[in-house]
Amino acid sequence: MSSYLLKTLTKKEEIDRIIRDTIDEVLVLRFGRCTDAVCLHHDDILAKSATDVSKFAKIALVDVDSEDVQVYVKYFDITLFPSTIFFFNAHHMKLDSGTADHTKWVGAFHIKQDFIDVVEEIYRGAMKGKMIVQCPVPPERIPKYQLLYKDV
Amino acid sequence: MATLEDSFLADLDELSDNEAELDENDGDDGKEEEDIDMDMADLESLNYDDLDTVSKLQKSQRYIDIMQKVEEALGKDSDGAEKGIVLEDDPEYKLIVDCNQLSVDIENEIAIVHSFIRDKYKLKFQELESLVHHPIDYARVVKKIGNETDLTLVDLEGLLPSAIIMVVSVTALTTKGSPLPEDVLQKVLEACDRALDLDSARKKVFDFVESKMGSIAPNLSAIVGSAVAAKLMGTAGGLSALAKMPACNVQVLGHKRKNLAGFSSATSQTRVGYLEQTEIFQSTPPGLRARASRLVAAKSTLAARVDATRGDPLGKNGKALREEIRKKIEKWQEPPPARQPKPLPVPDSEPKKRRGGRRLRKMKERYAVTDMRKLANRMAFGTPEESSLGDGLGEGYGMLGQAGSNRLRVSSVPSKLKINAKVAKKLKERQYAGGATTSGLTSSLAFTPVQGIELCNPQQALGLGSGTQSTYFSESGTFSKLKKI
Repeated sequence: MSSYLLKTLTKKEEIDRIIRDTIDEVLVLRFGRCTDAVCLHHDDILAKSATDVSKFAKIALVDVDSEDVQVYVKYFDITLFPSTIFFFNAHHMKLDSGTADHTKWVGAFHIKQDFIDVVEEIYRGAMKGKMIVQCPVPPERIPKYQLLYKDV
Repeated sequence: MATLEDSFLADLDELSDNEAELDENDGDDGKEEEDIDMDMADLESLNYDDLDTVSKLQKSQRYIDIMQKVEEALGKDSDGAEKGIVLEDDPEYKLIVDCNQLSVDIENEIAIVHSFIRDKYKLKFQELESLVHHPIDYARVVKKIGNETDLTLVDLEGLLPSAIIMVVSVTALTTKGSPLPEDVLQKVLEACDRALDLDSARKKVFDFVESKMGSIAPNLSAIVGSAVAAKLMGTAGGLSALAKMPACNVQVLGHKRKNLAGFSSATSQTRVGYLEQTEIFQSTPPGLRARASRLVAAKSTLAARVDATRGDPLGKNGKALREEIRKKIEKWQEPPPARQPKPLPVPDSEPKKRRGGRRLRKMKERYAVTDMRKLANRMAFGTPEESSLGDGLGEGYGMLGQAGSNRLRVSSVPSKLKINAKVAKKLKERQYAGGATTSGLTSSLAFTPVQGIELCNPQQALGLGSGTQSTYFSESGTFSKLKKI
């Protein structure tokens, strides 16, 4: 639904290009399916805040069903959808939100303001030179999940 | 001129209202350019019985001449515009200028006749004057009513709007007036006729000027319309005079100061003259009228300048200017563009705005360096500083409590703060060394069984040891600073 507002990437070259070309802006890549309900909620929030953060962030959607993209899915170890990965100047930014996995944000944001806070925090940390930032979202609004490591 | 002097003398004679002089007055009517002087004289005379003493214009030669020319010109078709002739020399132009003057005079004349009618008719129907304001309408109504007492027999349809007719009929029932005597009635009717004649003459002159305005000043009439163009030209005193005026003057040409004493001037429109009657002005919404009048005045001045030099006989310039004016007024009426949602600013890009002000200064005062502290920080040169524990230990007092300053005193309250271990040791040493409390019976000699008399340091017994032994390099010393990793 919001795919006409946000760019959807299907090819590996596109993803590469966008990661390379986003300079001095946070790049938000959402990995997910556009049919999933949670993804839709997430996409809605992303689309609504796209203009607000447009000065310091860029948002793109990656369709996880296409073939090219599976490389990235494996690289980032994406199993649950939607997953959001943040980049800044081609560096992968980590987010400590109290969950097990710091490399990505799993699940949908509850409200638009949460997403904007996260992006701002990442921007501030990145401008200072940090590779990992603390998540400003209060823990009740962080989606919980369980990581299974080799089905353990 | 002899004739002029005679006419002035005749005016003075007229001041005394005498029927016998009527014939003389008729003879005087053949003078020119006296209307204005005579009107002034007539206004001063309070009682006048005859119309002709009041209004002389119709009989004056000038009036007759001009009307004749106008009739002629209206009759024949306008010949081709002679572009070669300078504007001022064109006989038609001169006629136009005269016509302008005359129309102003006719208006004055109508006003005078109206007051004449009103004064006479007051005896019959006093309130009519306040109900019907326009002089020509008043004249028509008076003519219709005549000497009738019962207004239901009089048909005022078409003369007045129906609401006013109703009011007039109702007022007539309760009026205090009485029917007029025959001769007065005659005079009144004559005056009404005169007023109506003057009105039609004025219309004729007007139409003539309007029709000619297209060839005299095509550009100006393209913008403001020929009627207003004629009026402007008339008031300015010619086309070149109008062209020389700055636009701000053109804007107020014809502005009537209508502020009656006691009435508010807030509702009267400021600084609009004849331009108020233009189509452009009337069609703009009231909020934009001030700007529009300025715009129209400016552009019409430009057009007048073009016309004065006969630069554009077809009037294309004028049409273009009019189009420009129309477009500008439309643009003013456009709604403002919709607001776009603003994106958030980049984080930490704008430094925090630190505010100043009295409140902040008062707050900062609580943490500022006090006078006492300042004095304590300062030291006198050459004299050792006093300190709280004495001899360089504890807090130094600096200039505080010095003999010279009688401001701050230092009291010897012992400090409640914990004393450093080193400082405590030194204190004890000193106390022991300088203290007068050592018993006189103690001696520094110690009697040991082995060596006999031994002189030993009494302070060592107290554990103070030798002050020279440094604690830093001591072998038995412990770590002074431990940090938990």
